[in-house]
Amino acid sequence: MTTPGRGRSREQWGYLPYLLPGLLLFTAVIGVPFLMNIGTSFTEWTGVGAPEWIGLGNYRELVRDGEFWASFRHNVLIIFGMAIVPTMIGLVLAAALTDLVDRHFGPRTASVLRACVYLPQVLPVVIAGVVWSWLLAPENGAVNALLDAVGLGSLAHDWLGDPATALWSVVGVMVWMQIGFPLVIFMSGLQRVDPSLYEAAEIDGASWGRRFRHVTVPQIRPEIFVVLLWTTIAALKAFPQIFVLTKGGPGGATNVPSYYSWVNFFEKSDVGYGSAIATVLTLVILALTVVFLRLQARDLEEGR
Amino acid sequence: MIKAGRSAAVLAALAAAALSLTACGGDDGGSGGKELKLWHYEAPDSAMGKAWDEAIKEFEATHPGVKVTFEEKGFEQIQKTAPMVLNSKDAPDVMEYNKGNATAGMLSRQGLLTDLTPEVTKRGWDKLISPNVQVTAKYDAKGTMGGDTWYGVPDYAEYLQVYYNKDLFEKNDVKIPTTFAELTAAMDAFVAKGVTPLTNAGAEYMAHQFVYQLALDKADRAWVDAFQRYTGKTNFNDAAWTYGATTFADWVKKGYIAKKSVSLKAEDAGVAFMSGKFPMMFSGSWWFGRVAAEAKFDWETAVWPGAKMTLGSGGNLWVVPKGSENKQLAYDFIDITMKKQAQATLGNAGGVPVAADPSAITDAKAKKLIADFDGLTRSDGLAYYPDWPVAGFYDAWVAQTQKLMNGTAPGEVLGGIQKTYDGGLPK
Repeated sequence: MTTPGRGRSREQWGYLPYLLPGLLLFTAVIGVPFLMNIGTSFTEWTGVGAPEWIGLGNYRELVRDGEFWASFRHNVLIIFGMAIVPTMIGLVLAAALTDLVDRHFGPRTASVLRACVYLPQVLPVVIAGVVWSWLLAPENGAVNALLDAVGLGSLAHDWLGDPATALWSVVGVMVWMQIGFPLVIFMSGLQRVDPSLYEAAEIDGASWGRRFRHVTVPQIRPEIFVVLLWTTIAALKAFPQIFVLTKGGPGGATNVPSYYSWVNFFEKSDVGYGSAIATVLTLVILALTVVFLRLQARDLEEGR
Repeated sequence: MIKAGRSAAVLAALAAAALSLTACGGDDGGSGGKELKLWHYEAPDSAMGKAWDEAIKEFEATHPGVKVTFEEKGFEQIQKTAPMVLNSKDAPDVMEYNKGNATAGMLSRQGLLTDLTPEVTKRGWDKLISPNVQVTAKYDAKGTMGGDTWYGVPDYAEYLQVYYNKDLFEKNDVKIPTTFAELTAAMDAFVAKGVTPLTNAGAEYMAHQFVYQLALDKADRAWVDAFQRYTGKTNFNDAAWTYGATTFADWVKKGYIAKKSVSLKAEDAGVAFMSGKFPMMFSGSWWFGRVAAEAKFDWETAVWPGAKMTLGSGGNLWVVPKGSENKQLAYDFIDITMKKQAQATLGNAGGVPVAADPSAITDAKAKKLIADFDGLTRSDGLAYYPDWPVAGFYDAWVAQTQKLMNGTAPGEVLGGIQKTYDGGLPK
């Protein structure tokens, strides 16, 4: 009786040497700095000299800080722009490319189109951001020039400078940048869907829309979960896009927690406060991740 | 156990190797003063870049056997990481650093910079630099500028002025203004012809510098000192600030400044002026060399019309980190940059030298630039920059001025500025 048990445990421990480097690296690069960040968040510190312990002071200030709450509200819209909308568009595009384009125009056309949509993902975020800031520029920007050219010149304005449009413009850019990721994941997910399912549905007279709803979406649910989790976390961490496009402006209209934390760290030399924001943001991301993983696990259980 | 023992040994060996490597690094820096580690962030083709390149050559010629290890850094890079770098073993022997309470002042308070006072008096640098320019080089124990301890040496100075596109003035039959009334009359004339008179950038310093200049038009030295050096209480709802914010908002409404410039950066605004789209740019002398090189039209510069005080100060500082291991070499290098030759190079390349011999400046526009600056220092007219007094103020100014341009009431905007200012004052 003891032998198989011992054998299993030896087998389990046998993996340890392979896990160790990753574990050490994680501890050194993520674990320790995160704990230090939490520690710093209980202090008042300029980044140099001795930090002064102030307990929950920074957190009490956070609760009252209107700018902090506004930055979280902006982030909700950014989740919409970086996670929800690209996932939906990605789903439709993936289904259309796999189910329609691939079948009628051949796989080559489908992959060319896929590569075109994926392109923004390859571009460094900062470069894409700079290019978009040119496109959206109030004078000589391509977007305004285009509006002028089609006779809608009255709509032309300072997209990133008007608080009414700044956040929406940033969200628009993010949608453009983000679509390629869900598309590629969904298309590869669709590869493993048995074509006979589609054929059977087609024989039964199901339209493209019904096939999408009843075959495509249910079949790639695991991919949808992964994409939503991944893009939501990316949206919560959104920083370079904001940094390049608006620096949180105009007048804080596009401020997000990650940028706000950076401003406190480096512009205001208020490292303790910046750490408190970063800690809250990390906890929100961790909580969301746990909720997503739970939901996914439950979904898989039900699916079985 | 044996395995664990072996890994522990490997780890220990690695740690020992790492320690000895850092120790070597430390030794290298101090090996008998054979190396001068120098950091600065001026572009090679800028006036300062040219002057300091020459100074490095001169230093190498006068210090045979000493190697200058120069690292070109970015302005932002040094601004954001200096405290951490200076607190480490990697600090250079001499570096360029931003002036002001929130930067050089903060580092001096934290004991990261060398007190240069004895060297400054010994080498006579204090005689070369006018008292007005000295303010940003000297700090008190709290790190407030204008103290009595030298923590840096400025080689150059800078100030804001109006750049005029003379061709556009001539073409639209408008006279270049010399008084404030003439300035507004000229702007009215341009607006009437469909030309936006002033180039502007709402996402960076240009917009709030207008607000400060307009406030300065109604202010005096005591007001500036109270704001910049905390010698008194600053009330942002006083007459001067209210005039500044209200007038600026009014200028946006009147079309003197494009409302569409809220999201623009300083580079956009400068390029737009240099490409001949705007008759005027109100910005720093740091643009001078570029305008000279790039503008395809006839242009000239002058101090803000009618101003007794304007934005300006000594330039960025040479500082010697506390941890520098070759301080004598650092002082020798600073000394070379203060000499007539480096100062003349700086002046002829479009910079504002602090200790130049006027006869050595040959370019006519550069002569005017320096003469205007000398006029300002003689009349105690340098009022520094609005974002200096507290850390993080720059972002607050940008955000609030953007709101002002987008129609938020001046009182509300100034209230926001007051909140950041009060929250950031040294305790």
